[in-house]
Amino acid sequence: MFGLIGHLTSLEHAQAVAQELGFPEYADQGLDFWCSAPPQIVDTIKVTSVTGQQIEGRYVESCFLPEMLAARRIKAATRKIVNAMAHAQKNGVDITALGGFSSIIFENFKLQQIKQVRNVTLEFQRFTTGNTHTAYIICRQVEQASEQLGINLSDAVVTVCGATGDIGSAVCRWLNARTDIKELCLVARNQERIQMLKEELGRGKAMSLEEALPQSDIVVWVASMPKGTEVNVETLKHPCLMIDGGYPKNLTSRFNHPDIFVLNGGIVEHSLDIDWRIMGIVNMDVPARQLFACFAESMLLEFEKWYTNFSWGRNQITLEKMDQIGKASIKHGFRPLLI
Amino acid sequence: MPQLEASPVINFQSEKYKDSYSRINAIVIEGELEANGNYKQLAERLPDHKDELLKLAKMENRHMKGFQACGRNLEVTPDMEFAREFFAQLHQNFQDAWAEGRIVTCLLIQSLIIETFAISAYNIYIPVADDFARKITEGVVKDEYMHLNFGEEWLKANFEASKAELEDANRQNLPLVWKMLNQVAKDAEVLGMEKEALVEDFMITYGEALANIGFSNREVMRLSAQGLSAV
Repeated sequence: MFGLIGHLTSLEHAQAVAQELGFPEYADQGLDFWCSAPPQIVDTIKVTSVTGQQIEGRYVESCFLPEMLAARRIKAATRKIVNAMAHAQKNGVDITALGGFSSIIFENFKLQQIKQVRNVTLEFQRFTTGNTHTAYIICRQVEQASEQLGINLSDAVVTVCGATGDIGSAVCRWLNARTDIKELCLVARNQERIQMLKEELGRGKAMSLEEALPQSDIVVWVASMPKGTEVNVETLKHPCLMIDGGYPKNLTSRFNHPDIFVLNGGIVEHSLDIDWRIMGIVNMDVPARQLFACFAESMLLEFEKWYTNFSWGRNQITLEKMDQIGKASIKHGFRPLLI
Repeated sequence: MPQLEASPVINFQSEKYKDSYSRINAIVIEGELEANGNYKQLAERLPDHKDELLKLAKMENRHMKGFQACGRNLEVTPDMEFAREFFAQLHQNFQDAWAEGRIVTCLLIQSLIIETFAISAYNIYIPVADDFARKITEGVVKDEYMHLNFGEEWLKANFEASKAELEDANRQNLPLVWKMLNQVAKDAEVLGMEKEALVEDFMITYGEALANIGFSNREVMRLSAQGLSAV
């Protein structure tokens, strides 16, 4: 059995969903309540591969909300993640993807130090960040959506914003080795890490966001846009492909122009309907078919019975692993979301 | 991304700590004492489980002595009067149910609510306890899961017949737990235990117990929410 750990995008969203699911008692509650709320299994999922194989999964709502980070309720945020992991494990889930902010919180606050959660000893091999599949899908989106727009990769400047992160660095590795893009611009806050990445790739230009945007044909966003950043769309290239790999997806409204194409990044479409209701709640356009690639990774690991923390730690995603998960992705009927 | 601030160092010998400890320690001692009495009473009504229940009662007695030792170790005199008052309503509800032969209610109060309350408090206390108390509490919490399991198993085996009474008993008693948590929130904070972590741990363990007994996820969420009416 596979599992997905997810969360809602805001307190307001959480309240609306509680109301919609028929829990008015929870719909009235503020952030304090969500800081104390236990994880819940809110959905049972059946997925059929194009090979005919069927698997079953559980969706664990961690009750984490992004406001917890903003309000510095960090301990609450970290408890949400380890509690949801313990809940999944206790319910016999073999492989669980840490969706949304879950894997970032796990990594950033070094939660691997917390092995004992009440009477559960966490077995980390049962969890995956899903980042390998996300990185793979974003790369395929770059390749295929650019073709849709008539952008020739060999003439294209590609900027990766958040280049030194787990997903960002994997995307850079792929673009460097598997495509003939003209130029790769690296945007990230930590200059030391950028330097290391440049050395690893043997190429790439470190740039500020302001500097990189006007020269880019394609921008891959795996970090959210810094607050207060104003971008004048007229200064961008036309056409320009923006792949929004952040969470929640919010770039569409920022780049409102007919020649700027914003594609939801790291999203896959399945060839067959998935029996669940949770993707409707997280506002996917086609809830029965579309899902986050990180979630799909746990499905793929379940289909292939690769019960291992396939994506784990930081900057460990290799091209071989991207190939491996990519093959499984195609085999079972997933494809990258395109324009 | 904001950073996780380091936990403040606790001075176990400060007057403020000892003052709060005198109430929290007393609650724990009183809780174990009441549990001891409750299991002995339950043994009378559940003859098939008499030996097991008397064994549980004995364990609770041993726990009580362990926690008395924790108080002595910090040279704190537990405020037992406060603790008796703290448990009074829950105690009364147990005795009323007992007198009327409502065994399901008795099991909900002792085996689910009191045990879960203890488990969550001990889980949150262990990382911030002094070395002496930590060792004792770690031993106790393992036992308490076993005690919780007794009630779960009995109620699971008698689920259909118990369901309606469990719902009533939950509605009557769960708000008391919230009131009790609120009442000790400040003292618990002095000991390094956050109220929201206590509530969360309680909700997790209590929800798991209800699910093990046979309630659906949806029912569990509804039953758990009834505690909120006290806030």
